[in-house]
Amino acid sequence: MNTLTVEGVTKAYHNAAVLHGLSLTAPNGALTAVLGASGSGKTTLLRVVAGFERAGLGRVVLGSQELEGPQTFVAPERRGIGYVSQDGSLFPHLSAAANVGFGLPRSERRGRRVDELLELVGLAGLGRRFPHELSGGEQQRVSLARALAPRPRLILMDEPFSALDASLRATLRDDVRAVLKAAGVTAILVTHDQDEALSLADQVAVLRGGVIVQAGPPPQLYERPADAALARFLGHANFVDGTVDGGKVSTVLGEVLLAQGTGLADGHGAVLLLRPEQLKVTAPGLRGSRDVVIERCQYFGHDAVVEASDPLEGSREAWTLRVPGHEAPTVGSRVGLRFQGEAWGWRKQEDHKPRFPLS
Amino acid sequence: MSSGALALPRSGRVSWPVRAGAVLAAALVALPLFFLLLRASQAGWAQIAALVTTPRVIGLLGNTLLLAVTTTVLCAVIGTGAAWLVERTNLPGRRLWALVLALPVALPDFVVGYSWVSLFPGFHGFPAAVVIMTSTLFPLVYLPVAAGLRRFDPLLTEVGQSLGLGASANFFRVVFPQIRSPVFGGCLLVVLGILAEYGAFEIVRFQTFTTAIFTEFSLGFDTPGACAQSLVLVALGLIVLAGEQRAGGRRAPGRSGPGSRRVRRLPLGAGALVPLAALGLVVLVSLGLPLVSIGYWLLKGNSSTLGPASLTAAAGNTLAFSAGAAVLATLLAVPVARFSLRSRSWAAVVLEKASYLPQAIPGVVVGLSLVFFAINLAPVVYQSSVLLVAAYTILFFPLALVAVRTSVRQTQPRWEEAALSLGTSRTAVFFRVTLPLLAPGLAASFALVFLSSATELTATLLLHPTGAQTLATQFWRYTSEVSYGAAAPYAALIVAISIVPAFLVGRSAWSKDAA
Repeated sequence: MNTLTVEGVTKAYHNAAVLHGLSLTAPNGALTAVLGASGSGKTTLLRVVAGFERAGLGRVVLGSQELEGPQTFVAPERRGIGYVSQDGSLFPHLSAAANVGFGLPRSERRGRRVDELLELVGLAGLGRRFPHELSGGEQQRVSLARALAPRPRLILMDEPFSALDASLRATLRDDVRAVLKAAGVTAILVTHDQDEALSLADQVAVLRGGVIVQAGPPPQLYERPADAALARFLGHANFVDGTVDGGKVSTVLGEVLLAQGTGLADGHGAVLLLRPEQLKVTAPGLRGSRDVVIERCQYFGHDAVVEASDPLEGSREAWTLRVPGHEAPTVGSRVGLRFQGEAWGWRKQEDHKPRFPLS
Repeated sequence: MSSGALALPRSGRVSWPVRAGAVLAAALVALPLFFLLLRASQAGWAQIAALVTTPRVIGLLGNTLLLAVTTTVLCAVIGTGAAWLVERTNLPGRRLWALVLALPVALPDFVVGYSWVSLFPGFHGFPAAVVIMTSTLFPLVYLPVAAGLRRFDPLLTEVGQSLGLGASANFFRVVFPQIRSPVFGGCLLVVLGILAEYGAFEIVRFQTFTTAIFTEFSLGFDTPGACAQSLVLVALGLIVLAGEQRAGGRRAPGRSGPGSRRVRRLPLGAGALVPLAALGLVVLVSLGLPLVSIGYWLLKGNSSTLGPASLTAAAGNTLAFSAGAAVLATLLAVPVARFSLRSRSWAAVVLEKASYLPQAIPGVVVGLSLVFFAINLAPVVYQSSVLLVAAYTILFFPLALVAVRTSVRQTQPRWEEAALSLGTSRTAVFFRVTLPLLAPGLAASFALVFLSSATELTATLLLHPTGAQTLATQFWRYTSEVSYGAAAPYAALIVAISIVPAFLVGRSAWSKDAA
């Protein structure tokens, strides 16, 4: 079993704490994405797990072996943890094949294993190229093959796709996921890209203010975020207020059905999360819908993100909704707005706006 | 890129042997300045002040500054003009010109001085000094300006045209601002070269600080006068070095985008004859005459009044001393480069700046202060090869540092970390990652320090062990005796040592640019 457990890790630089007693479990064989904004401590977390930095406080355990604790510190070269950096960090003086074979015993460096790995990452036949003769995506593939070669117990990836252009990124993501699954290795990937985390990972853990604020399967995080700031960080979000009454909340959009598991009870003041795709456009003036004016429309082809203002309540923020591309409304037109489905929500505090703006 | 990586301080990653090595290097490099100041305070600052303001010192200052200004202006004009012709016009034979315009800088000034005076015995004084120094130093402007022009995005001049700029307005408002830094930086290097030169001025009998200090030394060996003049000379050098450092910070002209790789050259047509003749004259004077003169004396031969000397013995000494300095300077440059690149502490900054000090300290001053050091503190090493190797190491440490720094910058921690994460032990990481990445810089550093030491004259004259002649000192003995024929084989060997590698480097640099 190669489950990684991080417990209460605290790491400070020059008295400024980056990680505040962070805890995280990365299950055996799964791909965990650590999602956080710039400067949230993602890279620091990876470096502590890899052993490049000593946390000094807290524990890091892989399987049954303690890597760092009050009395232990295993050197990075003895951890059996592979590392793929942002730009690959290929050794510039070695060919692709020599890079892949770097961590293997001398006898295996020129053998089948290197060819197999190059083939696995889709670079069969390019082993003799040097790093500067490879494209950015190819370099990342070599870097992944190099990290996998010594059969590590865990692979760490630090924003491995951020230096690539969008079309390449999508292909490489799919391939990396397939390679990791084929190798059956436990992996952690850090990223600031929500789409990347949600689409790629088995488990997403959101890092904020030096701690993991929530971890779980992607749908759980998107549909049931721990707070409003997190909801906003993971995608477009609309918030409405109301009071809970019999599993429903009466809001400016009419009665909204409350999802299971929110912990809200009758009589609670609630803040509800309405995702843009839960809002439907209807003809104006219908019963049970609210009339709004289309202000902006970002058209993406397959769908469109629309912002609409509310003429009845001037101070309210604009509504954000997502509609299929062929139904994109005209800017300036007046349409009706209706909520469909069940809404997630939290107990209302004085201010439901994010206290930690994340995006 | 996540800012987490930016926030990581690197100071914790510099191990204590690296710190110790860096401090040792800095101590060695600071030695001449330290002993110069110590000597001055022993003599008493009042006496030094009086000696600095004598009419003789003021006369020397006038001589030195007049020569520096004249030569620098000439170098700037010739260097920039030649660079523009080679890089921006369709001048015939650009490849050859690029090579022969760079080579004169490899000729030691004292050999060039010899080549002129041996052919024209009446060639003396200020005009001779200007001609010799300009002909050997103008490549210091030519090389950086040519590099700047090569990097310069031709798209920018087209943008200038599209905004309505004519040819001359385009040059002054678009092209020149891009090469201002290399021109300025090159000029400051020219001034440093003039301040440090001794041999050529002695041969053409032109008095500057270096020749005066040398005379003081041979008369009284350790006089307050030599110390006072050295202080003025070092102060001038430090001012220029400070300017050079500032210019260096802005040297790389930014390219705002990928730009255009296509270079549009100005067609010269029949007008090419005038620039061709001008460049021909420059190369004839700076490269042709010295080579012809040495060849002439080699063929003519001459018996010397001095006893027979062994060319091979002198070459052997030169080889041994220079190789020793090259190894020492390279070994010391590694910790300094590593410390200054991986730590952001003020100590690292001071250390690195201090390492460039020798650029402002002429060989005569280094020689003098090491003699003072040896006599007072370490009589054992006086007149031993240790002192001479130390002098070379100090003088050429900046060259070693520049060469090593480039490689050390390439051995970023991320590669060492990648190797560690693959289960490689720390020793194996050094041999399989760090060393291979460092190797080109170490080789370049060794070559640069070796070549510079092998062709150094001034400090060698002051410090060479009794009885052990080097190529430079033996050449100097013959030249002082007007035994030009006997000096010729030494001159030829010195030129071969300095110019052949420059020729090879120049050729490979060209083929890389062409690729």
